[in-house]
Amino acid sequence: MTAALTAALETIVGRDHVSPVSGQPAVLVTPASPAEVADVIRTTADAGAAIVPVGAGYRAARLRGLGERRRVHVSTERLTQVIHLDETSLLCHVQAGLTGLALEKLLAPRGLSLGDYPPGILGSSVGGLVGVRTPGKSSARHGFFEDAVAGVSAVLADGRTIHTRVAPRRSTGPDLGRALCGSEGTLGFITAAVLRIHRRPEARLLAAYILPSIDAAIAAAFLALSEECAPAGLRIVDAAEAARHFPAAGLVPGEALLVAATAGPTDLAACDRDLIASAALAEGGRDADPAIAELWWRRRTGGEPSPEPGPQLQISAAPSALRPAYHAIRAAVPGVHLHVSRFDRDGAVIFATFPDGEVGSASAAAATAATAAGGWLLGVRPTALDPYLVALRAQLDPRGVMNPGALIDAS
Amino acid sequence: MAVDPDRVRRELEAIVGPRRVSLRAVDLDTYARDMWPRLLLARRAGAPPAALPTAVVWPETTREVAAIVRAARGLGVPIVPYGGGSGVCGGVVPRFGGITVDTKRMAALRGINADDKVCDVEAGLSGERFERELARRGYTFGNFPSSIYCSTVGGWLATRAAGQLSTKYGKVEDRVAGLTFVTGTGEVIDTDGPRRAFGGPDWTQLVLGSEGTLGIITSARLRLNPAPQLAVYRGFEVDNVAVGIEAIRRVLQRGLRPAVVRLYDELDTFVNGFGHHVDDPAARAYRHSHAPAPLPGEGALPVVPPPPPPPADDGPVGRLLALARRARSHARADAMAALLDRPGLVNRVVGAVAEKIARKGCKLIIGLEGARLRTEVEAALTFAELERAGARDLGEEPGRAWLARRYAVSYKMSGVYRDGAFVDTLEVASSWAQLADLYYSVRAAIGRHAVVMAHFSHAYPEGCSIYFTFAAHADDRAGSEARYDAIWRDGMEAATRVGGTISHHHGVGMLRAPYMAGEHREAMAILTALKLSLDPDDLMNPGKLGLAGARWRS
Amino acid sequence: MSDRFSSADVARQLDDCTFCPKMCRHACPVSTTTGRETLIPQAKMDRLNRLRRGLEPWRAETADPLWACTGCRHCTVYCEHDNQPGLVLLAGRAAAQRAGAGHPALAGYGERFRARDVRLAAAAKENFEDFAESGTVGFWPGCDSLDKGGQDVAAAQAVFARLGVGPVPLVDAGLACAGYPLLAAGLTDEFRWHASKVATALRRFQTIVIGCSACHYAINALYQGEGVAVATEVVSIAEFLARHADRLPAPERKRPVYYHDPCYLARSSGVTAEPRRALAAVAEVREFAWHASDAECCGGGGLLPKTMPATADAMARRRLAEVASAGGGVVATACGTCTLMLRRNAPEGVEVTDLATAIARATDTAFAPPAAPADEP
Repeated sequence: MTAALTAALETIVGRDHVSPVSGQPAVLVTPASPAEVADVIRTTADAGAAIVPVGAGYRAARLRGLGERRRVHVSTERLTQVIHLDETSLLCHVQAGLTGLALEKLLAPRGLSLGDYPPGILGSSVGGLVGVRTPGKSSARHGFFEDAVAGVSAVLADGRTIHTRVAPRRSTGPDLGRALCGSEGTLGFITAAVLRIHRRPEARLLAAYILPSIDAAIAAAFLALSEECAPAGLRIVDAAEAARHFPAAGLVPGEALLVAATAGPTDLAACDRDLIASAALAEGGRDADPAIAELWWRRRTGGEPSPEPGPQLQISAAPSALRPAYHAIRAAVPGVHLHVSRFDRDGAVIFATFPDGEVGSASAAAATAATAAGGWLLGVRPTALDPYLVALRAQLDPRGVMNPGALIDAS
Repeated sequence: MAVDPDRVRRELEAIVGPRRVSLRAVDLDTYARDMWPRLLLARRAGAPPAALPTAVVWPETTREVAAIVRAARGLGVPIVPYGGGSGVCGGVVPRFGGITVDTKRMAALRGINADDKVCDVEAGLSGERFERELARRGYTFGNFPSSIYCSTVGGWLATRAAGQLSTKYGKVEDRVAGLTFVTGTGEVIDTDGPRRAFGGPDWTQLVLGSEGTLGIITSARLRLNPAPQLAVYRGFEVDNVAVGIEAIRRVLQRGLRPAVVRLYDELDTFVNGFGHHVDDPAARAYRHSHAPAPLPGEGALPVVPPPPPPPADDGPVGRLLALARRARSHARADAMAALLDRPGLVNRVVGAVAEKIARKGCKLIIGLEGARLRTEVEAALTFAELERAGARDLGEEPGRAWLARRYAVSYKMSGVYRDGAFVDTLEVASSWAQLADLYYSVRAAIGRHAVVMAHFSHAYPEGCSIYFTFAAHADDRAGSEARYDAIWRDGMEAATRVGGTISHHHGVGMLRAPYMAGEHREAMAILTALKLSLDPDDLMNPGKLGLAGARWRS
Repeated sequence: MSDRFSSADVARQLDDCTFCPKMCRHACPVSTTTGRETLIPQAKMDRLNRLRRGLEPWRAETADPLWACTGCRHCTVYCEHDNQPGLVLLAGRAAAQRAGAGHPALAGYGERFRARDVRLAAAAKENFEDFAESGTVGFWPGCDSLDKGGQDVAAAQAVFARLGVGPVPLVDAGLACAGYPLLAAGLTDEFRWHASKVATALRRFQTIVIGCSACHYAINALYQGEGVAVATEVVSIAEFLARHADRLPAPERKRPVYYHDPCYLARSSGVTAEPRRALAAVAEVREFAWHASDAECCGGGGLLPKTMPATADAMARRRLAEVASAGGGVVATACGTCTLMLRRNAPEGVEVTDLATAIARATDTAFAPPAAPADEP
């Protein structure tokens, strides 16, 4: 890093908040306000260096592979204000550095919450939640996390700050805020977001069912969803996974466990639970001990640790492809452990965990089989629209400074 | 712009053949406009359209559309997509001439995937035909705008349309799994795929609402619901708008999703007089199945009226007689004109009558539909919540009456224009916290120039939309246009000032283009960037959506 | 009802359409088949409004959209102004003719109509035996049946005999058509003259059974407007067959048969239940998705096959596409013109038949089609 750039950055944020990153041509800068972010970006861009937004999951070592171009890691760690909490409209306007967990802690005493998103994702900062679209940021009740975004503030490559006006919905052209969601800072550096929040549900009910097969369990899940059940969470686990995670259920090989959480006004939560129960019954299932579901929920919300390492492969499948993809994976790797969850508009996600020592080849075989059966391997980006993304980035960022290594393989 | 029309014809005929290209005057005249009321003022005055397309073309495939775009690029003429021409913002006006591409020969419902509940449908399909076909197969798309008889699926997608039941089913942008789209360079894009799971912008959401300025949508994969098993409609009454708004907010924020919630302000309640339009179904069925017969001897066919007499100058006596004649035959028109010339007075008087003397309060229509069990439970919870919030139950009848006449308001437009006045609607939205401000500010702004009433609908947990209907009068076209422009200028300025959005579902077109800068401010940079990436030559519907169209202004 | 016909009301209708947000347009089969916005009812009425106001000159090109209508009245089902675009456009055609702005394909149509009428009546005398100038019941098949549907005429007479209401002789008057096409051409004077000739012939019967839906509508509703009174009971063949349907032998197995409503029966004369009753006696009646007052037009009315032949045929194909994509089937209809249009444009796997012929086949009623169909005009 040139001394001139470093000095300029120190002038903006103060010497205490600029530090070199060892082993890389980079410095870490931590601005205190969106105005400082704008100045940092303008200064960095003028110097021809790149801007890499970093949030709560920042590990400098992970960014080593970005080559020799000088870059500034811009951290949102100090952008943690709640600008406005609008309890009348259930909207909260927060700065991008606030983590989901921290936000939940602030909302909880008021009986408010971001909603039933997988708690594992809430360790990210709001900027990361909105700017990085990784699998799992969805909930059957609330949709995808970016559906919770009602407004975005961001800094463009030329240092201008944009704010998208908050409205529940509008017809004023393309959704400009959405351009920033999932764009990993390449189109704009997110400094704040207005998020839709929820009141704590009046009731939360948990239930578990044992189905004679995975197919029956999947059929039961879609049957309940077709009756407009809106569960807070839904997971299907095969017998091998159940043996490891829920031994008390006592599944025999071939059976499947379905655990479900429903939430909302008491009558509606009960109705949703009843819809799942009748669907399970219709598919040949039987009630299991609700304590199993309670255990699942406690683990899910971080109250208890999970016994095993996390899954290594995630396949998204539309309802029409879910069973074929599931069976294709099992046929390709007989010993694989599978569970299905993240039921949403797009379908559901199959999570695969491989027996020790076989991860590489097994994973590849499973991925190939699942894709052939109509599933989508998560984490792999289809590239058909990349030329348009390149063109859009070139328009907004002619000098190519906004997180150049992200999204599209730079080579 | 000096393009040779014959050259345009030849290039288009090379793509679609001679029968699907027209340069005929009657077609150019028809395609020059949509249902933007400002255009109707000109038409009523007998003026020809200010802008005409050079040609109209009817492609039948995406490939033909792409070829047409490439041809336009080579010719250096703009392209304007045209669906049902039912838009109310002038979105299809060919400001700089060019080729109007009518999508209505691409109108197939190509297939339904029952497991995924997704259908593949071409953009030119009429909304009513789409829904009827879905209903036949046990599905619904859930989008029922009052223009469903005259709008197309592609038009819905291009404008981010909403239907009356959007509170349950969402606006169209909430129900799109993928689009097929021809860019301004003639390339074809598919945005399908569980794009939520992959990084990068959601291209579906960037194309939706682009009103033909980025390219032409030729088909879409749309999410369906099963046809509702149960529908429950009811009417309630609240003392005033504030109580009504609060009641709706409480329902939505409890996590309940009625299909439709409509709160009519005092004047709208008064004017609509719910339950007064008792349409005899037997009489209506008779009219649909029997043609009227002439009386003996009056001729088998109706009489085409002669041209209205020109304003002749017959001297003072002649003028007085003409005035008397007109006064007799246009008594109603003049009365309305007198009424609409004093909008502030009317607003105050009628509003006061409604509020104080009549003590009618505000009507609230609520409807729920969907899967049987869940809808029953939600309905019970919803009605109980409304009553707790101070709403009085009026039973099923007002709800059913609304449903039976749900598209009726569109037919009322003609009478107003025939009688020399004009009517239009202005829909905005905001979060709950700003909704009351939005209502009073916009109502006051419009009320300076026009009689105005409003209803609240399209409710969300975080806010709601307001739909203002206004009517006004002026002595001539210039006066009408000036008043019309003033209403919109003041209404939009009020909405922006208070923090609302300038359009909830009608779109931008030409009408709201001047206000896009105020709506989006610096974020317009993203729209401009999108335009330059997808349509670098600015061929696609130039001069709309607040984009400059600089290339064509000379 | 007559106020639909006065000049003041037509002015109101034209203005109502001009300012209407096109609420009926999805129902208009001509504009839906072509995709042309210029041919939606609102645009056609607006065009006539501009012509009569003098905003545009009366020329064949400017008056062209007035001809793009079959009079099917589907638009009126979705009109709350109580407008009658089909009838008003016919009046517009008459005005166009008077202004010398008629449709080029209809030059000299009056003469051609008369010649065809005479030729078809003469050919009928050759092909059929049972004629009468007067009597209790007479049969008036309509020109398209006599022209291209000779076997349907024979089938109808055989069914009448089977029902025990025969013989029902053909009306012997040297005429084949009740004159609706003359109105569709805007030739009101010729229509009046022709109507009086037809009425003279029909008056000699107590009951006339009519096979053409346009003839039925013209005689029952329009003749009186021209001062031509017909005291005779004029009943459609569908209603006549329904009256006696209980005398039909029910077949062992009722095959599925779609019923296509002729527009001039279903939406001009209210005849929807009777044809279904007659057909249901011998077949399992299937409905089109759009049926009864929502039935979609075959394209044969309003002289469209003369002014926009490709569009008329496309309308017929479009009507039958639903049957084709359901795997094919049999379609019965109760109007000679519908039978002609649909039969001519039937896709693979779709068989189009006249109602009487369908009944004859289902009940194994023998009939002998005439030797050769009449020549092309």
